[in-house]
Amino acid sequence: MAAFCIRSMLLRNLTCQNLISADPTLTARVLVCHQQVRGRRRTCKPPSWFSKRRVSVKQDITPENAKFIKEVVIETYKKPESPLKDGPWARGSWTPRTQRTGVLAIKLGIVPQWTKDGKKFKTTLLQVLDNHVINYTPPEEFSKSMGWKPFWGSKYGSVVVGALSCEPHLFSKSYNNLFAKAGVPPKRKLTRFLVTPDAAIQPGTPLNVMHFRVGDYVDCSAKTIGHGFQGVVKRWGMKGGPASHGCTKAHRRMGSMGGGGAKASVWKGKRMPGHMGMDWRIVKGLKIWRIDTKYNVLYVTGYSVPGPTHCYVRVYDTILRHRREDLEENGNPPPMPTFYPEDIEEPIPEEYLDEELFNFSSESISYVTEK
Amino acid sequence: MAAPCRKVNYQFVKRSLRCFEPRVIPCRWSNTLRNQIVEKHRHSPLSSTRELVKQQDDPSDVLVPREFRFVHPDFLPYPIWNRRDRVREKLEREDMLKRRAVLDIPEFYVGSIMAVSIADKNAPGKQNRFVGICIDRAGHGLNHYFVLRNAIDGQGVEIKYDMYNPLLQKIEVLKMEKRLDPQLYYLRDAPLEYSTFRLDMEPVPISKGAHVPLNAIKVKLNPRPWSRRWERSNLKGVEPLDDYITEKMKKQKQHPQIQKTWEMHDLMLKARSSIDDREVDQIMNEVYKRKEKIQKEKLQKRGQEGKREGKKAQEVRR
Repeated sequence: MAAFCIRSMLLRNLTCQNLISADPTLTARVLVCHQQVRGRRRTCKPPSWFSKRRVSVKQDITPENAKFIKEVVIETYKKPESPLKDGPWARGSWTPRTQRTGVLAIKLGIVPQWTKDGKKFKTTLLQVLDNHVINYTPPEEFSKSMGWKPFWGSKYGSVVVGALSCEPHLFSKSYNNLFAKAGVPPKRKLTRFLVTPDAAIQPGTPLNVMHFRVGDYVDCSAKTIGHGFQGVVKRWGMKGGPASHGCTKAHRRMGSMGGGGAKASVWKGKRMPGHMGMDWRIVKGLKIWRIDTKYNVLYVTGYSVPGPTHCYVRVYDTILRHRREDLEENGNPPPMPTFYPEDIEEPIPEEYLDEELFNFSSESISYVTEK
Repeated sequence: MAAPCRKVNYQFVKRSLRCFEPRVIPCRWSNTLRNQIVEKHRHSPLSSTRELVKQQDDPSDVLVPREFRFVHPDFLPYPIWNRRDRVREKLEREDMLKRRAVLDIPEFYVGSIMAVSIADKNAPGKQNRFVGICIDRAGHGLNHYFVLRNAIDGQGVEIKYDMYNPLLQKIEVLKMEKRLDPQLYYLRDAPLEYSTFRLDMEPVPISKGAHVPLNAIKVKLNPRPWSRRWERSNLKGVEPLDDYITEKMKKQKQHPQIQKTWEMHDLMLKARSSIDDREVDQIMNEVYKRKEKIQKEKLQKRGQEGKREGKKAQEVRR
């Protein structure tokens, strides 16, 4: 149970803001939570240290004043004092050990596509909306912060990425202060990625789909659809009991829980009723088939990206060794630490298609050979 | 005299007020954004990847024929509201229009007799042509499909074609017709003569602008057993089935749970399973405009090619 608690704390830290704050008291408080506590794996209650993000907007503002506030907000963020004005940080070069940052995308849905052989397959659409780097913590500092796990050693720093800009008067002061360093409006959602120091990114850098290229492989992690407390038939696909023939109160029960003999007990990990879904899941090694630069959309293999439509998805370079080998052998490193539009002289095309993907504006596929 | 002061049960008040507190994390969809919020962020002036709001045309500007939506049901999006997304639907529609610019997809309905030729590696001429009656047409967007049925060598054959499959070479409508039912799967339980069509059938011409003829034929089904309980679905294109079914089946058919008469009056069900008329108008406007543009480009291309050929011919003559 203790393990569960710690795990849940770590998961929550993916979005938590005090990773960034250098407040030692906060860190100390969280570390105390390692004691064994009875509780649920997923809970609706926020932890005690979680400072309130949202602030209730006062209702007595006149519509003219509300309009004025909006104008002021837009003007202040039009030309903010960006940290990028000091000049970009030195860029590292890509090595097989490099771990770049990812992006925080939104799942749009599933659409079929065809290969040039005429094979149909499903793709998931992920939109990268308004992403910025909010903070970078080098490994020395990161290894002292609370989200750190011992087996990471001092290899990784962390990058906090935010998505979806909001108006600052909706949030508390402490939350707004997190974005002062990056010079961007406060974000609706934050997430953290582990990066190696050679992939460090300056706070305030915008991220878009061009962070990835067509043909690359990515991992997607997201929260699955929640089903609430479910029985054994729905949660684990057990058969249940018979519908009739004298069956009493055992139509959807699981049957026996364990045997007798030497190990006369219920084994650990026995599949039982409980909370289903709403859990972090990772799908690895998904190929990027197509990139739409106009709407910032990625087309990714398959329909198994977790979560419902319009959920947040963390998209990052795959950790699968055999997919990364490709990049090493071909000498085709991804943009480091991310894509900068200044690097390309030609205008960016609206669409990138994989070589194997069928382009809908090309002629139909035919096997008839012309004589 | 003042009324005696009543003791307030603070616990009770607290508990009753709790329901008005905003929930911190709603359980099931806490990882999901609502459609309006996503749209707001897409157009927000604070956003760095801002999508400019396009001024939507007044639907009365473009005169889209009323039948247009029935001719192109594949452009209507999936109606379940929590799986819809504007950008995905738009990208999907663009792909469809691109494909339609290359392959000529004619107007057809369930009940029309069609011929489809498709690239096939294993066929003798690397290409396969199939003639049959369209018994179903469904799917949204790029998932749209239709099913053709024919009897070949005394054996019923059905083939399902994805409409936007790039292997499709040609779609012809040999006989444009409508039937009384939206699906004709009952032909499986009818004599084969109802679904037999010659593979070398010649197209029946239809004058331009004429109404699509309705074939009001009543099919006589085979006696039971059937693949489905046809007596329960109120089929219009079938002769009365009373001779085939037992008294018990007739009684069962009248049961309210099977008749489901309330579905006729369920407005919410109708709203949930269909798309708003105004939205359909917008989509159809967009598609209609694009289609006209594509046709113009095609005509221009043909004209240019014709000119080139004419020039070549002149040079040859010289």
